[in-house]
Amino acid sequence: MLNMITIIIGLIQVLVILVLAPLLTGIIRKTKARTQKRIGASILQPYYDLLKLVRKDEVISDQTSWIFRACPWINFAAITTAAFFIPVFLAYTPFGLVGDLLLVIGLFALGRFFTMLAGLDVASSFGGLGSSREMMISALLEPALFLSIFVVAITYGGTNLSTLISASSNSSFLPHPQIIFAAIGLFIIILGETGRLPFDNPATHLELTMVHETMILEYSGKSLALMEWSQSIKQIILFTLMINIFVPWGISSSILLSTLAVGFLTFIGKISLFGIFVAFLESSVAKWRLFRIPDLIAIAIATSMIGIVLCYL
Amino acid sequence: MDTIQFDILTISGAILLIATFGIVATRGFMDWLNAYRYQSIVLSGVTAIIGYVTGIWEIYIAAGLTLVIKSIIIPKVLTYVTRKLEIEFKLETNPYVSIRASVIISALLVALSYFLIQQIPFKSDQIVNAYLPVSMAQFFIGLFVLVNRRTVLSQVVGLLIIENGLFLFAMALTHGVSLLIEIGIFVDILVGILISSILLFRISRTFDSLDVGKLENLRDD
Repeated sequence: MLNMITIIIGLIQVLVILVLAPLLTGIIRKTKARTQKRIGASILQPYYDLLKLVRKDEVISDQTSWIFRACPWINFAAITTAAFFIPVFLAYTPFGLVGDLLLVIGLFALGRFFTMLAGLDVASSFGGLGSSREMMISALLEPALFLSIFVVAITYGGTNLSTLISASSNSSFLPHPQIIFAAIGLFIIILGETGRLPFDNPATHLELTMVHETMILEYSGKSLALMEWSQSIKQIILFTLMINIFVPWGISSSILLSTLAVGFLTFIGKISLFGIFVAFLESSVAKWRLFRIPDLIAIAIATSMIGIVLCYL
Repeated sequence: MDTIQFDILTISGAILLIATFGIVATRGFMDWLNAYRYQSIVLSGVTAIIGYVTGIWEIYIAAGLTLVIKSIIIPKVLTYVTRKLEIEFKLETNPYVSIRASVIISALLVALSYFLIQQIPFKSDQIVNAYLPVSMAQFFIGLFVLVNRRTVLSQVVGLLIIENGLFLFAMALTHGVSLLIEIGIFVDILVGILISSILLFRISRTFDSLDVGKLENLRDD
C-alpha cells in the first residue's frame, strides 16, 4: 500500500514537471519584458502558443526523410523519460531504482542528437549551421557537466538522484566548500544546456545569432509544439536539479500530506525565484561571440576541477 | 564548535579563490580592477576572521587598512592614472597563452599548491590548513598572470595579486606580524603602485604602446 502511494506521488511529480514547464518559460519571458520596460505577454502565453500550434496544420518539406518526422517524438519521449528520475518536492522518486543522473544526461544527449540530425536532414543551409554550432557547444559542455556532477556525486555518495538529493537535504551547506564550486560550474553549464543568453539567444530570429532556433526552423504545427514543449521541460528539469541539489531546504523527505504541501509550495517559490534570477542575468549580459563561448566553459571546467581538489582534502 | 569554525575558514578561502579567478578570466582592465577590488574586500574579511580566531586585536586594524587601501585607494589611483590611455592599451588582446587555457592552468596551479602544502610538515593549525594553500595558489596565479600577459597594466595587476597572496601567507603563518611592519608594507605597496603607474604612463607616451614585447626592441624599425 505504501509502495502504491509512493508510485502515485512519483507520477504526480512527473505531471508537475510536464505541466509547469511552459509556466516557467512564461515567467522568464515576463520578467525579461519587465526589465526592458515592456509590459510583456501574460505568463500563461506559452500554454496558448502550444494550444494554437497543436490546432494548426503541418507543412513538411518533401526533401526530408523519416528522421525529420520522428525527431519531435524521440526528443519528447527522451526528455519525458528523464523527468521520471527527478525528485521534485519529495526527496526521492520510486523510479530512481532504474536510472541515475548519468542516464538523465544520456537521455538529454539522445534528444539533442536527434535534434541535430533533424537540422541536417532538411538540407537547408540554416539547419546545418545550427547543427554544427550545437555540436561544438555540446561537445564542450559535456566534459564540464560530468566534472561538476562528479564533485556532487563524490560529496553526497553516488549518482543516484534519490540518494543524492536525500543526502543533500540532510546535510548543511557549510562542511562542503566544493559544493560552491560545483554550483558555479553547473550554473554556467545549465545556461548553456538550456540555450540561455551568453550562449544562445532564445528570442532571436536573426540567422547570425541563433543556435537552437535554426534546427527547429522547418518545424510547424504539432511538431513545433512538441519541440518547444520538450525544450521547456528540459529547462525545468535542469533548474529543478540545480535547486534540489544546491538549495534543498524545504523539500519533503516523508510522504506525510503536510510536509508534501510545504515541499510543493517551496518548490514553486524556489523555481520561480530561480527563473526570475536567470531572467535578470539574461537582461544584463549580451550574447557572446561564438568563439568566446569556450572561455566560459573553461571557467566551468576550472571551477569543477577545484571542487574535485577540495573533495580530497 | 571547532568544526563549524573550520568550515567558515574553508568557505572563506574558497570565496577568495573564486575572486582570484575573476582576474584570470577577464581581459579588460576595468574588469581586473573590479575583480581585484572584490578580492581585496574578501581578503579583508578573511583577515578579520583570522583576527577573530586568534583574538589579536591588531589584526583588525590590518583588516581595516586592507579594506581602505587595497579596495578603495589603489583602484582609484590606477583608474585616475589610466583615464587618458587609449582603450586598446587597456585590453589584453593577445596574451601568450589564451584566456581559456590560462583558466585551466590556474585550476591546475590551485591543485599544485594544495599538493605542495600537504607535502610540507607543518605544525597543524586550523588557520594554516585553511589559508596557506589559498595564499600559495594566489601567489602562483599572480606569477602566472605576470608572465603570461603582454601589457604593462595587467602585469601591475599580477603584481598586486602576488602581494595579496604574500599578505595572506604571512597572516596565516605568523598570525599577524607586528602592526608597524604591516603599515610599512601597505605604504610600500601604495608607493610602488604610484611609481609603476607613472612609469607606465611614460611608457605609453614614449612608445605608443604598452606591449612588453615591443620594449625589448632596441632598433627603431
